[in-house]
Amino acid sequence: MPGGTPASPGEMVERLVAGDRRAAARLITLIEDQSELSGEVMKLVYPHSGRAVILGLTGSGGSGKSTLINHLIARFRRKGQRVGVVAVDPSSPFSGGALLGDRLRFQSHSLDPGVYIRSMGSRGYLGGLARATGDVVRIMEAMGNDLVMVETLGAGQDEIDIIDVVQTCLLILTPGMGDDIQAMKAGIMEVADLIVLNKADLDGATACRKALEATIGLAGGKGEGGWTPPVIPTVATGSRPEDVRGIDELVEAIEAHQAYLSRSLTLEAVRARRVERELGLVFKDEVEKLVFKALKGTGKKRDYIEAILAGRGDPYSIVEEVLGAFVKD
Amino acid sequence: MSRGRAFKEAEAGCGQVNWDDYLKAYYDKPESARTWSGYEVKEIYTPADRAGQDYRRDIGDAGQYPFTRGIHPNMFRGRYWTRREVVGIGSPADTHERAAFCFEQGGTGLNTIADVTYEMGLDADHPWAVNEVGLTGVNITSLRDMETLVGDIPLDKVSWSVITASTAAAVTMAQYVAVAQAKGYDLSLLRGSIQNDPIHFRYCGFRPACPLDLSIKLGADVMEFCTRHMPKWYYTTVNMYDLREQGITAPQEVAFGLGIARCYINELIQRGLDIDQFAPRFTFYVSCHVDFFEEIAKIRAARRMWARLLKERYGAKDPRSMQFRFAVHTAGCSLIPQQPLNNLVRIAYEALAAVLGGVQSLHCCSYDEPMCLPTEKGHLQALRTQQIIAYETGVTNVADPLGGSYYVESLTDKMEEEALKVMQQVEDQGGMEEAIRTEWLDRQFEMEAVKRQREVDDGQKLIVGVNIFTSEPEKATPLGVQRIPEQSAQQQIEEVRRLKAERDETKLNRAIRRLREDAQAGRNTIPAMIEATKALATTGEILGTVRQVFGYAYDPMGIIESPFN
Amino acid sequence: MGKEKIKVIVSKVGLDGHDRGAKVVASLLREAGLEVVYLGLYQTPEGIIQAAVDEDADVIGLSYLSGEHLVYTPKIVEEMRRNGLDDVLLLVGGSFPPEDIPLMKQMGVDEVFRGGSLTEDIVGYIRRNARQEA
Repeated sequence: MPGGTPASPGEMVERLVAGDRRAAARLITLIEDQSELSGEVMKLVYPHSGRAVILGLTGSGGSGKSTLINHLIARFRRKGQRVGVVAVDPSSPFSGGALLGDRLRFQSHSLDPGVYIRSMGSRGYLGGLARATGDVVRIMEAMGNDLVMVETLGAGQDEIDIIDVVQTCLLILTPGMGDDIQAMKAGIMEVADLIVLNKADLDGATACRKALEATIGLAGGKGEGGWTPPVIPTVATGSRPEDVRGIDELVEAIEAHQAYLSRSLTLEAVRARRVERELGLVFKDEVEKLVFKALKGTGKKRDYIEAILAGRGDPYSIVEEVLGAFVKD
Repeated sequence: MSRGRAFKEAEAGCGQVNWDDYLKAYYDKPESARTWSGYEVKEIYTPADRAGQDYRRDIGDAGQYPFTRGIHPNMFRGRYWTRREVVGIGSPADTHERAAFCFEQGGTGLNTIADVTYEMGLDADHPWAVNEVGLTGVNITSLRDMETLVGDIPLDKVSWSVITASTAAAVTMAQYVAVAQAKGYDLSLLRGSIQNDPIHFRYCGFRPACPLDLSIKLGADVMEFCTRHMPKWYYTTVNMYDLREQGITAPQEVAFGLGIARCYINELIQRGLDIDQFAPRFTFYVSCHVDFFEEIAKIRAARRMWARLLKERYGAKDPRSMQFRFAVHTAGCSLIPQQPLNNLVRIAYEALAAVLGGVQSLHCCSYDEPMCLPTEKGHLQALRTQQIIAYETGVTNVADPLGGSYYVESLTDKMEEEALKVMQQVEDQGGMEEAIRTEWLDRQFEMEAVKRQREVDDGQKLIVGVNIFTSEPEKATPLGVQRIPEQSAQQQIEEVRRLKAERDETKLNRAIRRLREDAQAGRNTIPAMIEATKALATTGEILGTVRQVFGYAYDPMGIIESPFN
Repeated sequence: MGKEKIKVIVSKVGLDGHDRGAKVVASLLREAGLEVVYLGLYQTPEGIIQAAVDEDADVIGLSYLSGEHLVYTPKIVEEMRRNGLDDVLLLVGGSFPPEDIPLMKQMGVDEVFRGGSLTEDIVGYIRRNARQEA
């Protein structure tokens, strides 16, 4: 904010709910910084969230997720929906830095007042990436977005946990990259609601699609009433408008899944799962903070480590002892 | 790391001298035993290194297959290379004026460069163009602009290198031919070249203007048209120079350049042309960077590789098809803004390497390249650099004077070996077009660029003025700054608007219709482009019409709709 | 906790297609621990500034290599002012005469890094000057 005292969380959330992008941006920064104000902010944001459609797009780098998002933004905007996008990229484990290059592919939507885009590094969040992303999604919901898309890499447990935040999860694969096999191994396929086979114009696309459908057939439907994840071929990148294919079908499939969720009451289960996870994550986070806050400055943490190394204890007994003391208090 | 004290004005006496540093400097030696591209070299090369050499097979005399030593038997004793300084500044009239200056000062070839708006295929009055017209070259929106640019230059006497690289080159060819025909010249007698290498230009920005299929189509249209109607014209200058400017190594420069050339060759063969019909008019634009011997070896290797490629892979019979004909642009990326007069020295060495490499046409950068367009003085220095080499140094008296050097021949072999490895990498990607489509090539450029910067940051590569022998930043450019007069752009934009308002709409529409039909029918589009140019269709209109036929947006920037729909 | 990460927008403006330097700087800033939003080619001043707002950027880094620096800098600065981004650092790199550096600084550019700059100088400057109020 230009000059003066910074606005209070209450003022910022008020502006956020009115659709102010600057407020949204600042609040998200507070979450990314794991600021002490985060808790207060999220308490104020929470009541305004929870109603948007939340899509997750996951898949390895080079699969075309960002280009697909670019098309999806355009389609949903045409339907009059306000769209938020969270694009997560991996932070370097060594330097902590990140190259956030997803935005580039949908930057043309930057000046659309109905679209809000935010890039995030996966940087070392104490509570895990899932919590931070979950909070950011809630902020985007509170801002007034009807639909929020979360783009991640889908590699690593952190990123898979993000799936619990979303309602409809799209897994983006491409033919011949070998990641169709990898995805099955990673367990991601169990979680995906839609499999998008992008770059479907490449050799081997048909065979790949058949193989995927066969695997899905073996696994059986997800959820009650059975939702069988469809495989949707797309060609997201084309220098010509006519080269782009499959986007209409993809939008239809997304809407079909959303309808299935409502119809089968799975949506409530999904929402419950999201909340359960948030509760768990916040608990875990806050308890951890509490314990380490109590230990801070006492030198006890160092004592514990030395004791373990000297063979006079182990992490399990020590934690049991410490938590036991907390519970008594 | 910094070697040597940063320069500041001297104080009286040796009190400031650090004698330990002095001794270190006295005993100093090269830190690296590698070439710029990273290849290890020995302390000395001897006949033992040339033991397996077969002179006849692998080297040959100059003018003899495989042309390692040069494409003409007597090289510069027969004719000097063309002293062809690139000129492009402001409006067509401004550029014409600077071109005239170069002629007066002894330049022997004309070389004009397009600005970014023209290369993107935009008219001067396009919303994205109005801010940038004339800043880095000349924009030729209409026939009138080309007429102004040509002015009173006798096209039958002057060899003209027209540097339009992108798909707009097709329009440039049409504009040039239209003016030449209006002036009554016989096309078959005109000498010159057009860069016309849209594929490489995808790596210089310009991707919206150069979709791969359209690049090959229009590039080959120009090549085919010239092959049939302008036998003295060089219809492409495959531009390895710009690729090198991305930060790649010398062998990569050759490998990727030849790879792109093959895309065009394959297309022309598919159109039914015989290799010997067109290959003699293929030319290349090559960089000369600062590692003196590596650049010379690179050029010699490229000559040998091209000769073998044409003979063995394409079955060429005419020796002229096998001759690697090239122009050199000294490496812009080797120059730095710090201590700019040092660039004169770098450029001189690079130009010398080009000459010792047997170049046909040479552009020396102006020392102020990292800062602005060349001033007249800058241009003059560049030209004089060439003239001193030509008239004073004596290196031109003997063809390939470094031939037979144990080192140079060994390094030539090394450059070829490494370039062939890179070409194999491209084949492993499925060929050049696949390497381009999958963006494998983009990744190579990005990786190499980061490597180069790291080398400088770490002190692995030493650059005077950057990480050794630094000084306080200059406040002024030694020979002045070239500014583009504001009214040049404004005037050109107004003229374009007036032209569009006043021209004969019927004639224009008829010509555009013909162009569209020819493009749809898969015919060569140049004749229709010539007619359209004469009907005062503009660059954006001509290119846009063809783009639409191929399914692309009329306007590369996606703003303007075709007025002919 | 406090924010250790600094967010940088790296972008080109207008038609200039020379993006080698911008890409290299983006990569190396990442290695130095910064978060870089790389916008690439053909950006407008409005688009860049909107990204800076949305991303809550601390630094905007522009690259000029086609003589357009005096054309676009005033527009960029104007957009920054209109959007209340006065505390965001504006850095410029690329190719221009030294005479234009004081001009650009007068317009509102905070620092200039021409070709031949070392990465540590750029990173050092950003670390010392970004997020002063934090």
